[in-house]
Amino acid sequence: MTSATPAPLAADAPRSARGTGLDRAFEAICFGAATFLLVALGGLIVSLAVGGWPAFAHFGLGFLTSAEWDPVQEIYGAAGAVAGTLITASLALLFALPLALGVAIFLVELCPAPLRRPIGTAVELLAGIPSIVYGMWGLFVFAPWFAKHIQVPLMMSAKPGTIWEAITTGVPNGSGILSASLILAIMILPFMAATLRELFLTIPPQVRESAYGLGSTTFEVIRKVSLPYVRTGAIGAVMLGLGRALGETMAVTFIIGNAHGFPNSLFASGSTIASTIANEFAEATGVLHTSSLIALGLVLFIITFTVLALARVLIGRQANL
Amino acid sequence: MSAFAKQRLSRRIGEGVFLTFCWLATGVALLALTAIMWSLISQGVGGFLKPDGGGLDLAIFTKSTPAPGSEGGLLNAILGSLMMCALAMLGAVVVGVLAGTWLSEFARDSRYGKVVRFLNDVLLSAPSILVGLFVYEILVAPLKGFSGLAGSVALGLIAAPVITRTTEDVLRLQPTALREASVALGAPVWRTILAVIWKSAQGGMLTGALLAFARISGETAPLLFTALNNQFLSLDMTKPTANLPVVIFNYALSAYDDWRRLAWAGALLIAATVLTVTIVARLIAREPRRS
Amino acid sequence: MNAQTDTQPETAVLDLPPETVKLAIRDLNFFYGAKQSLFDVNVSFAANAVTALIGPSGCGKSTLLRTLNRMYSLYPGQRATGEVLLDGEDILGPRVNVAALRARIGMVFQKPTPFPMSIFDNVAYGVRLYEKMSKPDLANRVEESLRRAALWDEVKDKLKESGLGLSGGQQQRLCVARGIAVKPEILLLDEPASALDPISTARLEETIAALKSEYTVVIVTHNMGQAARLSDHTGFMYLGKLVEFGETEQLFTNPVTTRARDYITGRFG
Repeated sequence: MTSATPAPLAADAPRSARGTGLDRAFEAICFGAATFLLVALGGLIVSLAVGGWPAFAHFGLGFLTSAEWDPVQEIYGAAGAVAGTLITASLALLFALPLALGVAIFLVELCPAPLRRPIGTAVELLAGIPSIVYGMWGLFVFAPWFAKHIQVPLMMSAKPGTIWEAITTGVPNGSGILSASLILAIMILPFMAATLRELFLTIPPQVRESAYGLGSTTFEVIRKVSLPYVRTGAIGAVMLGLGRALGETMAVTFIIGNAHGFPNSLFASGSTIASTIANEFAEATGVLHTSSLIALGLVLFIITFTVLALARVLIGRQANL
Repeated sequence: MSAFAKQRLSRRIGEGVFLTFCWLATGVALLALTAIMWSLISQGVGGFLKPDGGGLDLAIFTKSTPAPGSEGGLLNAILGSLMMCALAMLGAVVVGVLAGTWLSEFARDSRYGKVVRFLNDVLLSAPSILVGLFVYEILVAPLKGFSGLAGSVALGLIAAPVITRTTEDVLRLQPTALREASVALGAPVWRTILAVIWKSAQGGMLTGALLAFARISGETAPLLFTALNNQFLSLDMTKPTANLPVVIFNYALSAYDDWRRLAWAGALLIAATVLTVTIVARLIAREPRRS
Repeated sequence: MNAQTDTQPETAVLDLPPETVKLAIRDLNFFYGAKQSLFDVNVSFAANAVTALIGPSGCGKSTLLRTLNRMYSLYPGQRATGEVLLDGEDILGPRVNVAALRARIGMVFQKPTPFPMSIFDNVAYGVRLYEKMSKPDLANRVEESLRRAALWDEVKDKLKESGLGLSGGQQQRLCVARGIAVKPEILLLDEPASALDPISTARLEETIAALKSEYTVVIVTHNMGQAARLSDHTGFMYLGKLVEFGETEQLFTNPVTTRARDYITGRFG
């Protein structure tokens, strides 16, 4: 036996494949690519912070609390756009969530088998349509219809002096906060429906079947068994939908009316952070204007990051979506 | 009526209302899809026909964007979009496939792997307009000029996390035994991944790349202040470069009917491309392994 | 069941004559993280013979097999202590080139693992890693390996077709052909027939029996009939320990330890 001498199986053995060195190199390259993504995100945050710094330095906390946005006077406050962003995204979620649940439940529980795939695919396709198409459709097709059949009748029905009148004032052209919210709702609906459907499909069939076996109605099974089962994942899916609505640019820019300041009614023109940046950035003159727009971007990033981080934490616990 | 009968009635009413709502919700979603597709086709198809309504007009593919009032097409925008998307995909596939491979094959459940996975998800869902701002800050402002290259970088940064995610997901689905079988023959790890694992996962990886392509081909926001736009046909990607989404945006909001007509035609073109690519991607994903 | 009597030993491991030993395992312990799954295994496997490892599931027989080609090194957290001597050289040492080692020790897995490439390329995959060969030489090697694995007649007209298109039994014989194409010295088989139907199993067993003349074969199986039919020596493992090792005929007809006897006569496991 020759086990005391260096083993011929060592790295310089005759049959050695071009192995370990290249293995390390390959792992290093892959590691580099992964780190590149990390650096990209880090760079994004740093560049927003650095670019937005002059605005924060100039306006201080007032940048966040003031709703005045006046490029001529060089006065910039983010509150109007932040409010517009939060209001449109929340309203969109309010409209889209029940519908998305309805669609998901339809696809899992009610849909006749031959239609399941076509309808499921159609819903997913709806999620893939570029947002600029939603924007154009919103402006040219939806807004006129909305003005004629929803907005004007609502405005006419309002009695002078009531709150209802206050929140329905606006130019009857179909654009504004509510229209933007509805377009956003249509945009996030298919995404949320598809995610919720995936979640419902993760429920083991026995769980649902045993509930049905006890004589429960579909409604009861959904409410008492399915929804509690997927609860955290569903909250995550909703947050992801919210994240999309918060950051959506084109669909909103077309139809929100692009007015600065706090929106004062459902039909008033307004702006979101994304729409303000989209409209003004390329033409921004002067350091302060550019910087204020980038600072707005940082605020948007912080809002969406918070929502997304919460969503990932919740979804991560439920399923790998 | 007994309490029991009352309860039964209310249960049945609740069930009825609930089921009706689910049907209605699906109806609303399908109605929206139909309405959007109908508008796209009815408004967009005009751009592909001669103005008098007779016959196909390919001017949209042969002429560049016109000045107000004159005839034109979308050639420069189509070409610009193709160039930018191609370049973006090139970079994104390299970064995404390698990063996804690292997450699946090397990082697994290490702490750094978890951090990268999470931050990739953040990048994946970050508003695309912020990516545009970032690229403006690092490329456009320092180089003092909008360019197609900057647009490509922005689109690439949006596509890369998508590809990373799908690559990791499909690689993780490959059976451990396949890796071990290759390693057991004396193959080094890199060879195992390249020749066996990637090969085995190629369908899923292609699906991921196609979905990423579908996503960036309609992206508008990040191009507004990176690639900007260009009235003329140009292959020079170091200069502002025309692209479909920004042309659509500008023309849709213009006062000229011709321009709006082109905007609708462009929107139809993009939507058709995206839907086709998405459907192809799904077919590839669904296709069972060759038998 | 604790019928341990005073007259019967707890373990009984046959010592092979040194000149017949191909693999010698000395004081082998194995750990999955903090959990130990092999305990002080000492045994030798003979050259040009088939050694079967049997025992209830979770007894460590697959783990033992996977230490013999350092498969565990792929996974951080798994480690082995002790010695595994291949022709007298310790293969567990840190300086061992594991890729080169694995080229000398082939392995076939529980489920067929054809690569997503043609039948020809499947067999040539390992050969191309280590040998620069002319095309005709490579074709000869592929044919020879497929013949040995008793698959040639079934696939000779479709070598360009995907290996994924073969039946389960054919896929497993393809994996055997792939394993022997690199001309290893030892072939490790990890329950190679567990996913196959009886006819495919019979064909695979014929293949394995024919390989014995040139290779040292170690096979893990839960099928005792298979172990009895195929092997020269058999080791019985239980709870991470090698309880009994000996001539197959002796172990199956007259086991020395109570545990082995209980297992073989079907009282547990």
